[in-house]
Amino acid sequence: MRLYEFEASRLFARKGIPVPRNAVVTSPQEAREKAEEIGLPVMLKAQVLTGGRGLAGAVQAAESLDQVERGTESLLGSSVRGLSVRQVMVVRKVNVAKELYLGVTIDGYRGTPVAIVSSEGGVSVNQLVMEQPKSVVMKPVSISKGLRLAEAREMCLKVGMEGLEVTQVASILSALYRVFESYDCLVAEINPLARTTQGKHLGLDAKVEIDDSSLYRHTDLNLDFEGRIDNPRERKGREIGVTYVELDGDIGIIASGAGLGMASMDIIKQQEMQPANFLETGGGITAELLYNAMDLVMQKEGLRAVFINLYGGINPIHEGAQGIGKYMKEYNVSIPVVAKALGNRQEETWKIFREHGVHVVTDISTEKAIEYLAGILERTA
Amino acid sequence: MSILLNRETKALIQGITGRVGQSQTRWMLEYGTNIVAGVTPGKGGWSVEGIPVYDTVAEAVAEQGAEASVFFVPPKGVKEAAIQTIDAGIKLIVVITEHVPVHDVMEICEYATDSNVQLVGPTSPGIITPGEAKLGIMPGNMFKPGRIGLISRSGTLTYEVSVNLANAGFGQSTAVGIGADPVVFTNAPELLRLFEEDPDTDLVVLVGEVGGAQEEEAAEYIKKSMTKPVVAYIAGLNAPQEKRMGHAGAIIQGDGRGTAQSKISALQEAGVEIAQFPADVVRLVQKRLASS
Repeated sequence: MRLYEFEASRLFARKGIPVPRNAVVTSPQEAREKAEEIGLPVMLKAQVLTGGRGLAGAVQAAESLDQVERGTESLLGSSVRGLSVRQVMVVRKVNVAKELYLGVTIDGYRGTPVAIVSSEGGVSVNQLVMEQPKSVVMKPVSISKGLRLAEAREMCLKVGMEGLEVTQVASILSALYRVFESYDCLVAEINPLARTTQGKHLGLDAKVEIDDSSLYRHTDLNLDFEGRIDNPRERKGREIGVTYVELDGDIGIIASGAGLGMASMDIIKQQEMQPANFLETGGGITAELLYNAMDLVMQKEGLRAVFINLYGGINPIHEGAQGIGKYMKEYNVSIPVVAKALGNRQEETWKIFREHGVHVVTDISTEKAIEYLAGILERTA
Repeated sequence: MSILLNRETKALIQGITGRVGQSQTRWMLEYGTNIVAGVTPGKGGWSVEGIPVYDTVAEAVAEQGAEASVFFVPPKGVKEAAIQTIDAGIKLIVVITEHVPVHDVMEICEYATDSNVQLVGPTSPGIITPGEAKLGIMPGNMFKPGRIGLISRSGTLTYEVSVNLANAGFGQSTAVGIGADPVVFTNAPELLRLFEEDPDTDLVVLVGEVGGAQEEEAAEYIKKSMTKPVVAYIAGLNAPQEKRMGHAGAIIQGDGRGTAQSKISALQEAGVEIAQFPADVVRLVQKRLASS
C-alpha cells in the first residue's frame, strides 16, 4: 500500500528524519489557519498517490494567506492524472541550495534490501542511473544486520560528500533504513533531500510503500486501505477479496489466477475486443466469492459479455460455478456469459454452469474459448 | 529422471490438519506422492488420510525420514516454520502459502544462504514430476509424463500451458511454479540450469508475466549458458502501469520497469521464441524440436 506524502512524512519524523513544518488540510479555511501557524511562504501539495506531481500542476507556492486559500481551493476537488484530490499538504517553504536523493528498496531478484544514495535529486532514481551513473551508489543490505552507520557514511563519501554533510546525510539514511525495516516497506524514498542555504538537510518529499502482506503488523498506523482506492469498483473488489482493475472495454473477465486473468485480457485484445476489467480470485474460491465477483463485474455499464476462466487446483470450481449460477438466476442475466473451467471436478462444474445458462467451452485453450465468445457476439450483433 | 522430485522422494506436509492441507494431501496421495508424515504444532499424534502427524519437523525427519516438505502454513507462520525446517535438514521446501510478508521472505533467503536447501515459492502452485509425484496444488489431470521442462511464475498458466502441451503429445519432465511474489526463493535461471543438466529434458518452456526481472535475468542466462531450446509466453501485454495485477510481484512500475514488452525483447534477443497466447507454445515447441 502506497502512503500519502503526509503519512509517509509522519513516519519519517517518528524515526528522526528532519522534515519541514507541515500540516494536512481538507478546506481552504483550514489551509489558511495552518499556514499562519507554520509561517509563510509555504508550498501547497495535492495528496495523490502518483509521482510527477510537480509537472502535473499539483504543487504550488503561496506567499500570502490569500494565496494559500485560493491555491488550496483550486487543488481540492481537482484531479491529478485521473486521481481526485481530497487533501492538501501545507509545507513550510525552504531555500534549497542543492537536491540529493536517498532511498531504500528491494532487489527482488537477489532478495535483499538495497540502500541508494545520490548526490543529485529531484528526478527518478532510474533516470539518475541512466544519465548520471557516477552520482549514484547502491548497496545491498543484510536484512538481519540492517544498515550500519559506517556503511551509510561510506556511501555518502563515494558520491563526493564531505565533512559535516557526510555525518548529517548518513544519519538520515540510517533513519530511512529504520523506516524501511520497521514498517515492512517495499520502498522508502526521500526525493529530494534538500540541503538548505543554511546547510541543514530536510526531506522535501516522502515516498513509502508498505507491503500489503504485512499490513496486519501495522494496524497501529490506522491506515485506511480501501479509502485510498479511487475507483469505487476497485474498492469493492478489495472488500470482497478479489483483485479488480478497471479497464476501458466492455468484456468482463473473471479468472481464478492472476496469470490466467492477464492472458485472458491479452487474448481478448488480440481478437479485437476490449476487456472491461481484470479480476482474479486467487486461491480462495467459494460460491459466495464468485457470486460477489459476478455482481462486481456486472456493475460496469455497457458490458457486452462476461468471460469466466477457472482452474480447479486449490480452488473448488464446482462451488464457484454455483455462485455464478445463483447470480445468473437471481438477476436474469441477458448478456452472454462464457466459461472455460478445467481441473479437479471439471465435469461437475460444467454441468452446474450449463444448468444456469452459462455457455461452457470444454476446449483446453483460452484462445479458443474467447474465439467462441466472439462468435456469439457476432451472431447476436 | 526429472528435477527436484520423483516417486521415491519422502514428503512431509506442513499444515496438514488445516482444511486446504487435508484436501490437498488427499489429491497428492492419489497422484502417487510418497507422503510419509505431516506436521502441525500441537497436533502431534493425529493422523490425516492415514499419515502420521508430528508436532515438529525434527520428529518427522527422525521417525519417517522426511526429505522434502510442502507448506500449507498460514502466512504469519511461514518464517518460523521455514527456519525450523531448514534446521531439521530438509533438502527441498515448497511454499504454497500466499501473502507471506516480503521482509520475512528476505530473512528466510538470508537464513538459507549457507545451507544447501532448495526453497521454492512463496505463492507457488508447487512442483510436479508427472506420472510420479507432485508437491503442490496443481490439478494432476493437466499434466503428462514427457520431456519438456516447465518454469512458471503463474499457477493457472502452468496448468493452461501443460494441458495444451500434453494434449499435443508433449508431456513434462518436471513443472515448477517459482511463485508470484516480488521476492522468490528460487529464481528462474537456477531452474534453467537444472533442466539444462537433466538428461531427460529436451526443451524448456518459460511462462512469465509483468513485474520484476526474472525474465530479463533468465534471458541473460540463456544467452550465456543454455544449449537446449527455450520457448516462452509472457502475460500482461495490456496491463496498466502502477496496478498490482493480482500477484504481489506483478506490477509495472510508474517509471516503466517490468513491462511484458521489455521481457519479450530481452528473451527474443537471447534467441527465445515467444508464444502469442498460452496454447501457442505448442506450435513453437513442435518447431524447435523438429529443427534440433
